[in-house]
Amino acid sequence: MSTQPLLSVEGLGVVIGRGPQATRPVEAVSFTVSDGEALGIVGESGSGKSLTLRAVLGLLPAGARREGEVRMASRGETTDAHSLPPGMAMIFQEPMTALNPTMRVGTLVAEPLRRRGLSRREARSGAVKLMREVGIPDAERRARAWPHELSGGLRQRVMIAAALATEPRLLLCDEPTTALDVCIQDQILSLLRRLMEERGMSLLFVSHDLAVVGELCDRVAIMYAGRIMEVGSTDTVLMEPRHPYTDGLRRSAPSMVDPAARLTGIEGMPPDPRAFPPGCRFAPRCPFRQADCDEIDGSLAVAGPGHSTACIHPGSIVREGAGAP
Amino acid sequence: MSLLEVKDLTVRFALESPLQARLAGHRRQVVTAVDDISFSVERGGSLGIVGESGCGKSTLARVIVGLVAPSAGEVRLGDVEVGARRDRATRRRIQMVFQDPGSSLNPARTVGRTLAELLRVHSMVPSGEVERRCEELLDLVQLPASVLKVRPQRLSGGQRQRVAIARALALEPEILIADEAVAALDVSVQASILNLLADLRASLGLTLIFISHDLAVVRHISERVIVMYLGRIVESSPTARLFEDPRHPYSRALIAAAPQLGLIRAPALSGEPTSPLDLPPGCRFEPRCPISEDVCRQVEPALIEFSGCSVACHVAQRRDGATHPRTGAS
Repeated sequence: MSTQPLLSVEGLGVVIGRGPQATRPVEAVSFTVSDGEALGIVGESGSGKSLTLRAVLGLLPAGARREGEVRMASRGETTDAHSLPPGMAMIFQEPMTALNPTMRVGTLVAEPLRRRGLSRREARSGAVKLMREVGIPDAERRARAWPHELSGGLRQRVMIAAALATEPRLLLCDEPTTALDVCIQDQILSLLRRLMEERGMSLLFVSHDLAVVGELCDRVAIMYAGRIMEVGSTDTVLMEPRHPYTDGLRRSAPSMVDPAARLTGIEGMPPDPRAFPPGCRFAPRCPFRQADCDEIDGSLAVAGPGHSTACIHPGSIVREGAGAP
Repeated sequence: MSLLEVKDLTVRFALESPLQARLAGHRRQVVTAVDDISFSVERGGSLGIVGESGCGKSTLARVIVGLVAPSAGEVRLGDVEVGARRDRATRRRIQMVFQDPGSSLNPARTVGRTLAELLRVHSMVPSGEVERRCEELLDLVQLPASVLKVRPQRLSGGQRQRVAIARALALEPEILIADEAVAALDVSVQASILNLLADLRASLGLTLIFISHDLAVVRHISERVIVMYLGRIVESSPTARLFEDPRHPYSRALIAAAPQLGLIRAPALSGEPTSPLDLPPGCRFEPRCPISEDVCRQVEPALIEFSGCSVACHVAQRRDGATHPRTGAS
C-alpha cells in the first residue's frame, strides 16, 4: 500500500519512573495500520501489548511517560500522550468494569453523541440505532437497562456501540473476547469484521490468543518483553514463523487440527521488565540460541515480502522442520 | 466396575430474592444448575467436561468433590455412596485443582507449611518424614525444593498452579478434578501444565476429570468428552468421535465456533443461552438450534446411547435410527 497509513507508530516506548530506577516495559515499537486493515498484537501477559495500546490511545497511567511518535493520518501532528486522539475509540476486556454501572446503557451510548452537539432526543434515537447496528435484540427496551442486567456478550456489544458513537476510523480492542464464551466470542468477532467492512474502519486488536487473531486480523505483530519480535501478514507469520518465539507459541497451543501432538511449550519464564537481558530478549529461552544473539539490538529485519523478524537466525526454525505446517 | 459413578444427579439453588418479594409472599426462584445427570468414569480414565458459563460444569465438579450437596441423585465412588459429608479417608480420594491458584492458596503461608499441614492432618506419612515428602511432592510437579520456603505471591501463575497440583496430590487421590485449571495461564505455561497432568495421570494411575470451556484443551487431554448445556448432558462421546462427527447441533456449533486460522464465516450460533429460570418446555437448546423441529418445542429429548456415544437430540437420534422411548407426554 503506497498511500499514507491511517496510524503510524514510530519508536514507541513507555517509561515508568525516572533516573536509574526507570524501567521500559515497552521499547522501540513501530508499526502502521492502513485504512480498513486489522492489525493484531499478540503476546503473553507482561509482554507490553496492552501498555502499547494504551500508549497509542493516550491512556497511560499516571507516572508513565511515552516516547516516540504516534500519528493519525487525518492530522499531521503527533498525538498527545495523555489525551484521547480524534478518530480513535477503544473497547476493553471486561465490559463490566469498563461500563459505568450507574448509567443506563442507552445514556452511556448516547453520551458521545450529546457531546457532538445532538439534542437529547436525537442522541437517544441515535444510541438505539447504534445498539441495533451491533446486534442488540430489542434495542429500544435494552437502552433502559443497567449494565449489570445484561449478559457479558451484550455488555461487550454495548461497549462497541458506545465506541462507534464517536465515529472512529480506528478501533482499539484490548482482549475484547477473552472473558466471553466461545460461541459469543465467535459472534463478537464476526460483528467486528462486519463493522470494519461496513464502516471502512480499521482495527488494532490486542490478544493473547493466536487463533483469535489468526481468524480476525490481516496482519499480526508478535510482542515479547516489550518489543516486537515479528510482524507480517497473519498467514505468513502463523504458518511460516521466522522467529523462535512465534514458533514456540504456535506449538504451545493445543491444536484443533492435530490433537495428538505433544505440546512443546516454552522453557523458562518471560524476563522481569526491570532486568531485560541484553541482546535478544528471547535468547535465554530460545532453543536455537547462538553466541551472537546477545549482541543484537532487537531491531526488525526483512524476512520476506511485508514480513519482518527480530531474529538474526530465522533459518534455524526452518531447519528444525517446524516451519512447515 | 467404574471408579466413579454419577447417577441422576440434580442440584438446585434457591436464588436470593428482594425483601419486598419475600414479604409479598412470592416464592423464591429456584435454578436447576445440574439437571438429572448420569455418567461414569473408569479407573485411570480421563474425562473432559465442556460447556459455556452457566452450564453447570463447575457445580457438577463441586458435587463430586463434596463441596456442594446434591438435591437429588448420588455420587458413588467404587461401591460406596459419597455425599457432601465425608470422612477424611473418603474426602482424600477425590481432590480438586481450581482455576485461580492465586486465590485458592493461602497467601499467608509458605508452600511448605500448606503442604505439611495436609500431610499431618491426614496422617499421610510419619511425622519425621513430612519434610522429605513435601520435597518429593514438589519434585513430582517439577518445582525445586526451595519453593517450600516461599509464599504463593512470590511465585508465577504457572508455579502456583503446580503448587496447587502438588497440594491435591499430597493426599494421594484416586481422582483429580481440574476445574478450568489452565484457563488463567499464558499459552506457553498452559502447555507445560497440560503435559504435567498427562504425565501424572500415566505415572500415578490417576483418574482425571478435566473441566474447561476450551475445546482444544479438552480434546488434547481427554479420552471421553461430555458436552453440557444449561445443566444437562447433550452429548457424551469418545473424544475423537466427538470432534470428527459431532451428533448434537450444540456440539457442532461449539466446535465450529472455535477460532481457526484465516477462516472468516458467519457465527456458528446466534443468540445467547436461555435463562435457566425460564426454560422452554421442550429441548433447552431449541431456541438457538438451527435444525429444530416441532417435536423439539414440545418434548425434552432424553440422552440415548447409540453405538458408544450418547446424544440428547430428537433429530440426531432419528438420523441414527436409534429407537428412543419418548419421555413425558407429547
